[in-house]
Amino acid sequence: MQLPPASPVAGLLRRRLSFPEVLAQSVSALAPSAAMVTVPALVLVASGAATLPAIAAATVLVLLVGWCLSLFALRMAAVGGVYSYTAKGLGPAGALLGGWSLAVGYAAVAMSALVGAALYVVALFGLPPGSVAVLVLLLGGLAGWCTVRGIQLSARLALALEVVSIALVLAVLVALLVAADGGPGSAAPVVDGEAGWSGIAVGVVLGVTAFMGFESAGTLGVEAQRPLVAVPRAVRWTPVVAGALFLFAAWAQVVLLRQAPLDLLMSPVPVAELAGPVGALGKLLDVGIATSFFACVTGSTNALARVLFSMGREGVLPPALGRTHRRFGTPHVALAAVLPVLVAVPVLLLLAGTGARAVLAGTLTVSAFGYVLAYVLVSLAAPLFLRRIGELTAAPLVGGIAAAVLWLLVLVVALAGGPLAGGRALSVVYLVLLVVGLLWIGWLRLRRPARLAAVGVYDQATESSVLPGSLPVGPHR
Amino acid sequence: MSPDGGLSGRQPKAVQSALAVLEAVATAGAGVTAREVAESLELPPATAYRLLNLLVGEEYLVRLPDLRGFALGRKVAGLAGAIAPVRVPSAARTVLAGLRGRVRAGVHLVLYTATSLRVVDEDPDMPLASASLVERHLHATAAGRLLLAEQPEWRELLPPSRLTRLTPSTVATADRLDACLDEVRARGWSQQAGELHPGTACLAVAVRSATGELVAGVVVTSARGAVPVEQLEPARECAAELAPLLS
Repeated sequence: MQLPPASPVAGLLRRRLSFPEVLAQSVSALAPSAAMVTVPALVLVASGAATLPAIAAATVLVLLVGWCLSLFALRMAAVGGVYSYTAKGLGPAGALLGGWSLAVGYAAVAMSALVGAALYVVALFGLPPGSVAVLVLLLGGLAGWCTVRGIQLSARLALALEVVSIALVLAVLVALLVAADGGPGSAAPVVDGEAGWSGIAVGVVLGVTAFMGFESAGTLGVEAQRPLVAVPRAVRWTPVVAGALFLFAAWAQVVLLRQAPLDLLMSPVPVAELAGPVGALGKLLDVGIATSFFACVTGSTNALARVLFSMGREGVLPPALGRTHRRFGTPHVALAAVLPVLVAVPVLLLLAGTGARAVLAGTLTVSAFGYVLAYVLVSLAAPLFLRRIGELTAAPLVGGIAAAVLWLLVLVVALAGGPLAGGRALSVVYLVLLVVGLLWIGWLRLRRPARLAAVGVYDQATESSVLPGSLPVGPHR
Repeated sequence: MSPDGGLSGRQPKAVQSALAVLEAVATAGAGVTAREVAESLELPPATAYRLLNLLVGEEYLVRLPDLRGFALGRKVAGLAGAIAPVRVPSAARTVLAGLRGRVRAGVHLVLYTATSLRVVDEDPDMPLASASLVERHLHATAAGRLLLAEQPEWRELLPPSRLTRLTPSTVATADRLDACLDEVRARGWSQQAGELHPGTACLAVAVRSATGELVAGVVVTSARGAVPVEQLEPARECAAELAPLLS
């Protein structure tokens, strides 16, 4: 066997990010503080008294898929993350389906977070509602600059923003808990309501949406200092930390909302309604959520660009997407290709008269479908991958199949039941996008089958990574 | 050493097994699979896979592109290079003595492995202030910079946290070292003035094998503070003469 002189994904800045910076990628794409204030109240309405078990079950589901991902991340340093992992288990067609779905997920969540950041900046400074579209443009440009300028800059920025925003949201929740002393309000029957199995299932589906993006550290295989150590650790620990934060936030909201009137529980962000009248708490919360959303924009854009970068290097998308910036070592062509789309879609929706909240929630729903299908496929790919390389043991076989089945159930409940914001209309939007992806895969299979063979590039061993003399090498440069 | 767990030394069994796995890959040769390693050591497969993944994570082992086979990693060269006995052919020593007779500066020979360097022939009349400092602080010496400039990514060899500022003029930031190594690659030789010890400067010229591999370096030092560029040509001629003798 002869090793190549250079990695097929060379050009990205190599081995720069420390473990906290790799973790920041996963945490920022997950946007914990925004999820902490929005998701528990939604689960509460669906699952009532079973809210905490539903969120705990969602955490377990995410831990399961995180563990499946770590089986890949221990063995290969990828740039396409879940997409590249899937390729090693399911082959090109399965990988492209998962990769397309994941790209839809990253793109839609970036749009959602852009609108979210704009919305909270508007609320913070009391700007006119019409300025949301302008702010989306500005924040999109700022995110573009951060992501092109270098992965280290955007990772450090995300780390700082996340620390600030999680601290702010925790502080606000604690302050509200300390101040709370009222008796049961009109929302109490809903908060303490008995939930049937369907209510719990819907609660779990809503709960898992809070975690999406945790897998995106998988796109830093080249840029992390010790990728085969840092990336598996990040995908295993992010759900643990996020799950703990969500459980605390959910418990706090159960206590707080039990004392609240019913119409407050049904408002878009009940915690904001609670904090609003209490001095500066409302403003602090706005700052926390806006920063978390902005970090989510950069995190999701970074991940999306790296998936497309991998596809460009493989040749299944135009090779130009596989170019990297000479000085910053970022996939700047892929970034430049996606950023206009990420900004244009929400701006057009807003200009067409859609409410900002509806855009925020709708794009989030579409992204959730995208992630869930990618998780189903990668869980299924894990045992197949290990069997192919002769390292299958009982635990990954059982874990992988269980994860795939459970996540498939999540997908079915989400698509068919319409529990997510926007209902079944958005299921149709996602399915249409999926059909576009299937047509693309079909075209590649029929017309460009040779390109499919290249799917699955990763930062593989080169002649400089093995002990000199242990393998025959080609002529030296 | 991992940043979180630290080294506790309380898992002697695990360390023994890990070393046995490393040994098994070394004996079996490149391309050995995880299952073969587990069978040859009679380890439970899950344990063997975990140890292999740990060693791959630390880069002592490398997974080959088929993801099934393993080979020894580049990092192993660092272990072996530090303890292997070094023999410099007497013909090479004669060539060095010739250069010492012609120039009024210290002339030293260093040998390179893929990841380290060793001072193997020091000028008896003008010895280095400390050979071990030259071997350790790769960023601050001309010989070390030749090695770093050879790496696809020097950070894999020398984490930026180890860019010690030895004197006020040491290149001690990653950005400045990047620029410095770009210069070395463009020029083909390296230099430093007062970065290891105040007042001492040196230059280094590469000795390359027929295939272009960096095998040794001729180092010329001067205690007068300025890089001894007037000795560059003699040092290059010496390196050209040494190439067939050392590779």
